[in-house]
Amino acid sequence: MKRLPFLLMVPLFLLCAGCGSQQEASRQFFAMDTVMNVTAYGPHGADAVQAVQQTVSRLDGLLSRTDADSEISQLNAHAGDGTAVAVEADVAQLLRLAQDASGLLPGTFDVTIAPVMDAWGFTTDDRHVPTEQALSDALALVDGSALVVDEEASTARLERPGMEVDLGGIAKGFAARQAEDAFRAAGAEAGILDLGGNVTVIGSRPDGGAWRVAVKDPQDTERYLCVLSLSDVTASTSGGYERYFEEDGVRYHHIIDPRTGWPAESGLLSVTVVSADAVLADVLSTSLFVAGEEQALDFWRGREDIELILCTADGRVLVTEGLSDGFQPAEDGGYSYETVRR
Amino acid sequence: MRPSAADRRRPVWGDGLVALLVAAAAVVLLFLFRPEGGNFLTATVVLEGETIARYDLSALAGPEELEVEGAAYPITIQAEPGRIRILESGCPGRDCVHTGWASQAGQQIICLPNRLVISLSGGASDDIDAITG
Repeated sequence: MKRLPFLLMVPLFLLCAGCGSQQEASRQFFAMDTVMNVTAYGPHGADAVQAVQQTVSRLDGLLSRTDADSEISQLNAHAGDGTAVAVEADVAQLLRLAQDASGLLPGTFDVTIAPVMDAWGFTTDDRHVPTEQALSDALALVDGSALVVDEEASTARLERPGMEVDLGGIAKGFAARQAEDAFRAAGAEAGILDLGGNVTVIGSRPDGGAWRVAVKDPQDTERYLCVLSLSDVTASTSGGYERYFEEDGVRYHHIIDPRTGWPAESGLLSVTVVSADAVLADVLSTSLFVAGEEQALDFWRGREDIELILCTADGRVLVTEGLSDGFQPAEDGGYSYETVRR
Repeated sequence: MRPSAADRRRPVWGDGLVALLVAAAAVVLLFLFRPEGGNFLTATVVLEGETIARYDLSALAGPEELEVEGAAYPITIQAEPGRIRILESGCPGRDCVHTGWASQAGQQIICLPNRLVISLSGGASDDIDAITG
């Protein structure tokens, strides 16, 4: 019976070994008009989540349209007066990336969409259908080519009065890119950066497997459309199912087609883009939602750096072939699932 | 002479007792150190960074409503067995109401104007690490 104390320690050792492998640090904070959840596993996790929060908060302070002191507010305030507004180097880089993104699927994304978003009240507290005149006036100010960015001088200017930049369709992706760098620089190797539904998965789960990322069902957000197995990529989803308002019995969502000034009606309920490039994932989820199924799949066929989940209004879920490994459809969701091949 | 323990080949009652004690200790320790939430689906309501309510949704017998005090805009939370939602909110946009019910671990309901977050954890999780959308 002298063995008894030693043997009683066995489960404790086993338990503690398990605790060690699950070492976890997490943090939740508000930024960029959404909630961010950051989790790190393994050594240096606490430093990593702290670094992520600092990185994202810094960018939020620079990019916010609601903070009059932000660099983007300053850029907007000087629209049309000829001032080249000094901005941080990474803000200039982001503005350049936003301009480049406009060229990916012309007409479906424009960083100068802000006046139209304002006309609909999506950026204020008063959502409403704008008058034809108000919408026409706002739409006339949407012109990404009139944003002049000088990355070398680290300045930017808007050429016409009344123009405004809104980085809502790309800022979280850019933040995810910088946040991932900060996360890794802090020494952490595994974790999840959930920046308001833009999910970046780093490394692998504590059990060594791929991360399991669920995609919300746009028709019932209590449910999932599917579950993806992912590592070292960002999954970004756009849809009109949460941010919307109703007027005279009609629902109007917040993803505006820059060509018409109206909420995009492309036959898609949601678009999820998976890419190792977080900026690309973020901006394309919006852009492809506006573009619609046919154009989105044509675009995908021309690239190697993205994979897609498209949920269509007629009940189909289209999954590009690069996501088929570990793909798990929802049970009883009422959708038909199709794998799209090149 | 009585054989030493190392020499014995057949288990004796004492060995069985030790095995039972070890197993019992393992069960007790696993219970004591079980992950927070365990198999219970828990909804945690955080307002401005402070936890103001926690519901064990698995154990609720019937619907419960909470009118959140101290929120910038009037907001009412409704919990019932297995799920929770924001029933009504005076916030601009009411996106939090549009979110509807949440019933699975990992899901969140967010009211940005109120800086209120409802997070679900535990439960019979289907092993989801994150949710995009």
